[in-house]
Amino acid sequence: MLKMWKMPVLLLIASLFMVLSTAHAGKLDEIKARGALVAGVKDSQPPFGYVDENSRQIVGFEPDLCAALAKKLGVKLELKPITSSTRIPMLEQGAIDLIAGTLTHQIAREEKIDFSITYFPAVQKLLVKADSGINSVADLAGKKVGSAKGSTSEQNIKNAQPDCTVVSFETYPEAFLAMKQGKVVAVTTDAPILLGIRNSDDNPDDWIIVGEDIAAEPYGIGVPENDSKFRDFVNITLMEMWRSGEYQALYDQWFGEQTKFHIPLNWTMELWP
Amino acid sequence: MDTFTTWFFGLFTNWPVVWKNFDYLLIGAYPQGPLGGLAMSIVMAVIGIFGAFWIGLAVGLMRLSRKKWLSWPALVYIEIIRGTPLLMVIFWFYFFAPILLGQAVPETHSAIAAFTVFTSAYVAEIVRAGVLAIPKGQTEAARSSGLSHTQTMMYIILPQALRNMIPSFVNQFVSLTKDTSLAMIINVNELTLSARHIYTRTMKAPMEIFLTIAVLYFIICWVLTAFSRKLERNMSRYQARNNAH
Repeated sequence: MLKMWKMPVLLLIASLFMVLSTAHAGKLDEIKARGALVAGVKDSQPPFGYVDENSRQIVGFEPDLCAALAKKLGVKLELKPITSSTRIPMLEQGAIDLIAGTLTHQIAREEKIDFSITYFPAVQKLLVKADSGINSVADLAGKKVGSAKGSTSEQNIKNAQPDCTVVSFETYPEAFLAMKQGKVVAVTTDAPILLGIRNSDDNPDDWIIVGEDIAAEPYGIGVPENDSKFRDFVNITLMEMWRSGEYQALYDQWFGEQTKFHIPLNWTMELWP
Repeated sequence: MDTFTTWFFGLFTNWPVVWKNFDYLLIGAYPQGPLGGLAMSIVMAVIGIFGAFWIGLAVGLMRLSRKKWLSWPALVYIEIIRGTPLLMVIFWFYFFAPILLGQAVPETHSAIAAFTVFTSAYVAEIVRAGVLAIPKGQTEAARSSGLSHTQTMMYIILPQALRNMIPSFVNQFVSLTKDTSLAMIINVNELTLSARHIYTRTMKAPMEIFLTIAVLYFIICWVLTAFSRKLERNMSRYQARNNAH
């Protein structure tokens, strides 16, 4: 009988020990000690983050931003793929040091994680078939709209058009494939993502981006809650990149006129004196 | 027939997409980056099968024990796992392991641990059924010739029982091999997720890509069953009964 008591007691002691050992120093020290910055990026979202055909590595605008952060710290960069539904739990449990994955800075998300300043200001729009006759959110009443699980777009469209049915997919390209097959009539998310999807298609002219600005979607880098040193580092590095022109060069590389995803750079980063 | 063939293959016109990305389907970003694709699926399946066999064997024998402190934990483990979907076990390991260990655990490790723990419970039940199916006379004869309980199990019962279990094992292991695709939910870059990486970038050829990975899954499962048939033939020499012919 005594033996049966031992197991739970041992387990309890073990778990107590493990909880205590989770208390750690700041993220900056942790990253330097490890010698690598582990960044959570998208792997299915051209041009923000996707797997390159030739090198078979994850590349994109956001991986390049992370590379600049890692370079500033003097550590290696390790990219970890995330999706809209896994990114916040992964950051909370420490599997990644930051999220650079089309993450909208939202007040509701401040409860769990912190954010850097905005590094990409997006607005939510609709992508529809060119001849669908859908021009605004009002036209979506009674129709099916595709989006991605755990995204802000999914919540916003439900608020903007309560009469539509939102069908959520794991990634936006999958939502687009569903639209191609007629399962949904529109895909809604941030305009640059929609543009990326549209321009990756064989016949981009078959699709148009329409509608009013459903919501503002300012992208910020997600950082762990209550670690202001690390957040300062990310903010200051982003501003330095803007001031030195490094940001603009990166932007031009992924969103410039020569690319498939051209979006003019017509905003200014929040720059602290 | 000819019109059908033409029509059927007319549906699949984007084979160059598959061909150009075939190396990614096979090995992912390796060697410049992490292993992925089919190789990752096979690695997970092989480690999972190896772990599940030994843990399952131990748990199955514990379950058969007359000692309550051995059989009870085994029973509880088997019942809990059998009443839980694999997808949930994967999530559970993924989100709970870091809390328990106090540090981040690579998702591949979480997935392999989940596969091992999940499959072990089923292997344990196969072991139990296999041992119980051996006629009692075998045990009685062994014990009366002076072998201990452990010796009886090791030298008399298990060699016969394990051979009978092979078909059930193979069933379980083939199913584990295919279930490795569930690891994509926690971002393990196995074959199915590699396929998604390709069609989300190219935005075309989902049918061709999925047909290709279906064939790849079929090939590895077929190799597994072929191997087991060979193993079954080799082990038949240990069979004590029903070999009259």
